[in-house]
This record gives sequence, structure tokens and C-alpha cells, in this order.
Amino acid sequence: MKIAVMQFPGTNCEFETLVAVKTVGMDGELFRWNRSAGELSGFDGFVIPGGFSYQDRLRAGVIASKEPVMNALKEEAIKGKPIIGICNGFQILVESGLLPGSVNGSGKVDMALAQNVMVSQGKIVRRGYYCDWVNLRHDAPSKRCSASFIIERGALLKVPIAHGEGNLVTTTPGLIEKLNEESQVVFRYCDKNGRIINEFPFNVNGSTESIAAICNEQGNVLGMMPHPERAFFAWQLPAFDPRKQRPDEPGPGRRVFQSMKRYIEVNA
Amino acid sequence: MSQKINLRVWLKIPDAEAATVKNTLIRRLGFGKVLADVKKERLFSIEVDSGDPQEMARAFAKELVNENKESHIALIDELLFEEGYVPVKVALHIEDGEAISIRERLRSRLGFENVVDVKKATIWKLYFKTLKPEAEAAAREIAEKLLINPHKDTYEIMT
Repeated sequence: MKIAVMQFPGTNCEFETLVAVKTVGMDGELFRWNRSAGELSGFDGFVIPGGFSYQDRLRAGVIASKEPVMNALKEEAIKGKPIIGICNGFQILVESGLLPGSVNGSGKVDMALAQNVMVSQGKIVRRGYYCDWVNLRHDAPSKRCSASFIIERGALLKVPIAHGEGNLVTTTPGLIEKLNEESQVVFRYCDKNGRIINEFPFNVNGSTESIAAICNEQGNVLGMMPHPERAFFAWQLPAFDPRKQRPDEPGPGRRVFQSMKRYIEVNA
Repeated sequence: MSQKINLRVWLKIPDAEAATVKNTLIRRLGFGKVLADVKKERLFSIEVDSGDPQEMARAFAKELVNENKESHIALIDELLFEEGYVPVKVALHIEDGEAISIRERLRSRLGFENVVDVKKATIWKLYFKTLKPEAEAAAREIAEKLLINPHKDTYEIMT
């Protein structure tokens, strides 16, 4: 079971993502954007890690989305192979049309991850880059999506975010309703009890309906703004979390990578 | 009566973002046969309800332009561009947090109480090898394929 961790110029989370992939028992290697795209067919799954591909020039993720390697990834997605985009990886998947669209569709861009706008009590209280620990609620049934395959609906995960453009917006009529109806909204930002409160500090970036992660119709492609690889070990958790005192235990983000592994095993 | 001060600001040093856009258009999106060059400017459109606009423009430029690396031109109640390229104006159609921040900074912190509104945009200057009708059609295609995400941005050909 071999996973390609994609590396574009400016990607900066590839090494910890590779550690996460290997620790759950998958083989993995870094795949530079300028390698022959045809080599991607030799992998069973893909992770596009976080960072600032091409220095976020023009728009986060847009330049990387035009690379030939992304066309090859679309072909692998059509085969049903899992693809996880984390933070900048999510932005690249959106700009390439792989999310939320159908993988055999036109590649039309159906949404944007716009600049963060934090709203509280009707007022804008903050804008721009923000990093913090957030609570996520898993809103899809288990097995709906490759990257949350073993996570039950309603489960809560504490995972960090760090981004300036994670505010999911769309002008496509009916798209949000469709995502809700077809359980394509995988994670939402919530409070520590799992309640969705659609304002800052619970909704950390102004995202429509507090959406933190979505998957495509087939469920094999997932994009998420939070960083599960940064909550992979309990020792990575913040000081106020009692689990940090049990450093040998897995962190909550590990379940994302374990899900990917299980998804590949089941679909092999 | 309100007046609009348009500050066009560009880098004196090489613009890496414009170079990346040019490279992507030529190497990845197939515009090599028609596109010659890409340059970029920032545009601040500042509406004031009093004061000498020329003097205000100089004061705003002092705050918004870093003369160590940028040049600018101020235009009052007009927005003109030179011949030789197709100017494409790209702006957010959702709320522009940076423009709001600039307005608040000018009004509240820097004492320009006559500032009514601030709008911000990017002007992409597309230099073509082809003549005007074809160039404008190519500019539209470039805007829609790369320069904007229609779910948050809008564009206008400024000729």
C-alpha cells in the first residue's frame, strides 16, 4: 500500500504528513510536482499536504492546480483512489475542480476558499491569517468518505488550523444543499460539546455553515482545512489538553490516516 | 461633492507574482503564441467628500506606497491606462476585508475623516502579440481561466 505525498514548491507539511502515513502502516514517499506524472499510477493513494504552494501567488492553490501532475491526479481519482488535501492541499483541490465536483465532470470550479472573515454578534472582529486548536464534528456517516472511513458520525476531533484563506464560499445555486443532502460535508467547526455555532471563535474563518471539510460525490477525494498530521501524536496536543500527559497515545488526527488505510484495504 | 482618487501602484523591483502568472499562462495554459508579457499594479480607489484632491492624493500615497520599492500615479475622478496592453481589473465581489481595514486606518488612526470609501483591486496588464479585438478576447479567456475565481472575484476589461 503505497501513498504519494505530493510536494509543490512552497509545500511545507510534507515531512510530518509522510511520518503520519508511515506510522499507520502504509508505505509512502514524497512525489515532487515535476516528476513524470505517469508515475502516479503506481500509487494507491495520495495526500496533498499543507503549505504555501507557489507562495500563494495570485490565489492560494491556483498555480499548483494548473500543473500537469494535477491532470494525472484527476485520472487517479476517477479510478476511485483516495486523495486527501490538507489546508493548501484543499485549496489546490478546489481550484483544480476536483472538489466538490464530480471527478468525471468538466473540472469546473464550483467554490472558492476566500480570505478569512471572523464574525461575532453580527460584527467582523478579525480578518486574515489565524492559527488555533479547533473542535471538529464528523457530520458524515462512517464509510462515506475515504479520510473518515472509520470515524462514526458525530465524533469530535481536536485538530489545529493555520490558514488565511479557508472561508468556503460559493455562488453555485443549490450546491451547499446538495453537499448536505449527499453527506459530502465531512467535518464542521464546532464547540467542545459538538454544537455548531456559526460565529467566531467556533467558526474560525467565516466558512459557510461552519464547513471545515468536504468530499466529492464518490467519497474518495476529501479536502480539509485543519491539519490532522499536527495532532497525530498525543504529545502534539496543546498543554491544556490532559491527553498530552500520555505521550505514547495516538492523537485525534491519526484517525484520518487510519481511515485512508482502511479505505484502501476495503476497496482493494 | 465627493471625488474619487485613484492610486495606481506598481513595483519598481521585479514582480515575482506577475512572473509566475506569465509563466503559468505560457507554459501551462497555452497562451504562448499570443501573450508577450504580464505586469501587475495595485489600485486603490479612495472616495473623499472634502479637501484638495491633489493634496489628499499625496498624503494617501505617503501612507499606502512604499517608495523604496514602489512607484505610483494618482488620477482624480478618472482611471486611464496607456496604450500597448489590455488592462484587466480584478476585485473581490464578496466583502473586501483589506479595503475596509485601509478605510478604517485612514479615518480613525491617521485622521483622514473626509474618507468616505476605499476600494482595492489588482490591475493585470496583459501585453499581446496580436491586435486589439483578438487581444481583448484572449484577455477575457485569461481572466476566466486563471486570474479570477468567480465565486469570490469579478473582472473588468478596462479599455
